[in-house]
Amino acid sequence: MILRSVVVGVSVLSMALAGSRWLRVAQREHYLVDAVSRFALRWWTAGPVNLAGLVLAVAGLVLCAHWPGFAFATLAVVAVGPVGLSLRGRTAPLAWTRRLRTLALVWATLEVGALTGGTVAGEGPLTAAATALAVPALVDLACWLTAPVERRLARAHVARAAARLRRVAPTVVAITGSFGKTSTKGYVAHLVGDSKTVVASPASFNNRAGLARAVNEQLADATEVFVAEMGTYGRGEISELCSWIRPDIAVITAVGPVHLERFGSEARVLEAKAEILEGVSCAVLVVDDDRLAALAQQCAARGTRVWRVSAHDEHADVCVIDDGGVLRVWVRGEVMASELSLDARPGNVAAAVAVALELAVPPATIVARLSTLPASPHRLEKARGTGGVVVLDDTYNSNPAGSRAALATLARLGEDARRRVVVTPGMVELGAVQSEENARFAAEAVAVATDLVVVGRTNRRALMRGAHSAPAGAGPSRVVVVRTRPEATTWVRDHLETGDVVLYENDLPDHYP
Amino acid sequence: MNVTSAKVAVAFGGPSPEHDVSILTGLQAARALSGAQRDVMGLYWTKTGDWYRVDASLEATDFVDGVPRGAQVLQLVTGGEGAGFVAGAGRLGRTRPLPVDAVVNCCHGGPGEDGTLQGALDLVGVPYTGPGMAAAALGMDKLAFAGLVQAAGLPTLPRALLDPGLHGRLGGGSPTRTDAIGFPAPYILKPRFGGSSIGVEVVADLDTALARLDVNPHLRAGAVIEPYREDLFDLNIAALTWPQLELSAVERPLRSTAAAEILGYADKYAGGEGMASAPRELPADLAPPLVARLRDAARAVLRLTDARGMARIDFLSDGESLFVNEVNTVPGSLARYLWVDPPIPFIDILDTLIGEALARPAARHSAAGADGSILRNAGGIAGKLA
Repeated sequence: MILRSVVVGVSVLSMALAGSRWLRVAQREHYLVDAVSRFALRWWTAGPVNLAGLVLAVAGLVLCAHWPGFAFATLAVVAVGPVGLSLRGRTAPLAWTRRLRTLALVWATLEVGALTGGTVAGEGPLTAAATALAVPALVDLACWLTAPVERRLARAHVARAAARLRRVAPTVVAITGSFGKTSTKGYVAHLVGDSKTVVASPASFNNRAGLARAVNEQLADATEVFVAEMGTYGRGEISELCSWIRPDIAVITAVGPVHLERFGSEARVLEAKAEILEGVSCAVLVVDDDRLAALAQQCAARGTRVWRVSAHDEHADVCVIDDGGVLRVWVRGEVMASELSLDARPGNVAAAVAVALELAVPPATIVARLSTLPASPHRLEKARGTGGVVVLDDTYNSNPAGSRAALATLARLGEDARRRVVVTPGMVELGAVQSEENARFAAEAVAVATDLVVVGRTNRRALMRGAHSAPAGAGPSRVVVVRTRPEATTWVRDHLETGDVVLYENDLPDHYP
Repeated sequence: MNVTSAKVAVAFGGPSPEHDVSILTGLQAARALSGAQRDVMGLYWTKTGDWYRVDASLEATDFVDGVPRGAQVLQLVTGGEGAGFVAGAGRLGRTRPLPVDAVVNCCHGGPGEDGTLQGALDLVGVPYTGPGMAAAALGMDKLAFAGLVQAAGLPTLPRALLDPGLHGRLGGGSPTRTDAIGFPAPYILKPRFGGSSIGVEVVADLDTALARLDVNPHLRAGAVIEPYREDLFDLNIAALTWPQLELSAVERPLRSTAAAEILGYADKYAGGEGMASAPRELPADLAPPLVARLRDAARAVLRLTDARGMARIDFLSDGESLFVNEVNTVPGSLARYLWVDPPIPFIDILDTLIGEALARPAARHSAAGADGSILRNAGGIAGKLA
């Protein structure tokens, strides 16, 4: 009897520790209903130690039905594991927002309810072990239960934002795309900012709640142009955003295999992005992608003014050609600017120039502003690190096309360097093609770099496979495996010297294994 | 009311181009007050005009994404029993105003410095630091201010309204037509209403100036034009108006690059601590007679504008001549860094400002004279309309 009580008591402690871990994951994954369970599975199967822990925990659960003492095995594992997922978090600690407090309360009620029920039914230890092991699932359940309430609360903010937009009545530029939307938004704000009062939504504010907040807090009365970045995880989301943001000008920068875990296929990504074009008076499309070229055709057919922009075709409405880091801008077949020394993706620059022209910014102003285009932080940003090492920071990128562009820049800048290093944890949220895309990236990386530093476990297997599949004679590449980003930077500091170039490609927050 | 026991609210932010630097000033003031164990709270005014109560110990980075975590939404209610900063709006039966004895106004530019906020607080009946509504409005109108100092016989550069209609009235012609303005090029172009160097431009001729009106959004609400003289440098002095008028040392701000033609916004604020960290010569190395003339002119400006609290008066000089340029009625960092001789701790400056706010409120509206005699003798309204 005493043993049974102790088991239940210890289980509360164990659940509290597990709770703080998995609640943080829920927060980092935007409270999506199945996210915590998916991450739990990913973590418990990452590496032999965690796998052994999982086996031990399940064994304890099975055995404690007859021998209550075995529950301690499960509780101990749940309290300390999975190894690598820290309690507080390094990249983003748990923030006790109102939403998280609500979620934690609902989750704790579920845990206590189950535990009480089980104890009353005489199965205290078994219930204790089961509910402790099921913390991720119960956090997901709590997310599902609180979702309707959260939607209701969000609705009030959205209504306020919609009213504010109607009152201020700026010209609204909406930008979406699988990648490049944040950079393009920054370029638009920069090119237009000298001539009009511009407010751009902050980078991390690209969903319904974030854009409502940006409007409510940032859209001052005299705003003439509002640049809204719109992200999407599924069909209907951008339509919903456009129903109250009502863009005048829509931009699609690119379509690629991003968030495939949630979308399923690239065709569905395209459909979701194309929602931004409904009802706008002007569309800006990067037509180097055939699917976007087809969309341009459709837009033109239904009477929308279309800017076809390109990174290759000088006869597009706006074309920006990158000649080894030197950009040349063409507008309707005529050179508008040349000799621009910029590390910027030409397609994004072209889209921004088109938007500026559509907003009637004088061409001379555009040309002047182009020369001071800001580098987007962490998006292929070049800096000189300690000890004269050239650092290419592309830690915000997480898509195959962007990775390829970054490798090209590494090859160019590191042409004469003794060492060219790629540090990466690989890319995530690519669904069925994640393993394949990471392997391909690693193969391309070792063809360019002298060293490849693989960070963490999430994509380790795929990256290693890719690195070793590179054709013989591609170069004497070395592959180094480290557990965390700080370990990788230490390695870089210890091994690189003046003139060497290191590319940090993508960074995963520490709730990824 | 004792200064040290007063419940103080530090207001900062606001729908202004200087929203961000105002946050720096506000957080400095809040930190100094809480460091002296005063009863202090932060009042954050968003770019869209909403009010939030925030912790006095926040850092600037907490405001990067907008309203910081844990902020409590407030409403500014004027008139009646419930007037003030009201918390808990929406929760039934709990709409009492926060107890605030004085507002320390750290809002630069826009409605925090142009009289709007001052007028609202006058209606609420909460005392506040800094200028009253009329002085604030005057200080923010570069054209009206120039007219006032000129009329009083103080030395200023000529300053004229640059109105977009000028182009049409002049017709086509050579860009050297100066008679329309009254002084020759090059020119310096400034927003008529604005508290900082944001939007200020140097132009070579009148046509360029007129062209800039169309494209520079800061000039849209009105622009003034004055001669640009490369030989002039800035000289600033601060004034505390209570209990008696005190003047600070004279500062000569230094421009960060030779190419920068005017002291830019980046020069002033890029250091991260606001004006307090900008490069300067302090006290400026000037001939004593010039300093004496400057101090006299500063006193005259304060009398004319009725500025209150802490003001900074900016001059231009070539080392001999002196020109009044503008008055900042809510200066960056509340001009605390200018008080070097003798040094005055920031908390003492804040105490002085709060003491003045409590002792002599900026506005006391009066209805004396409206004694009803007009109403009694008025007769019917319909008769007046006939």
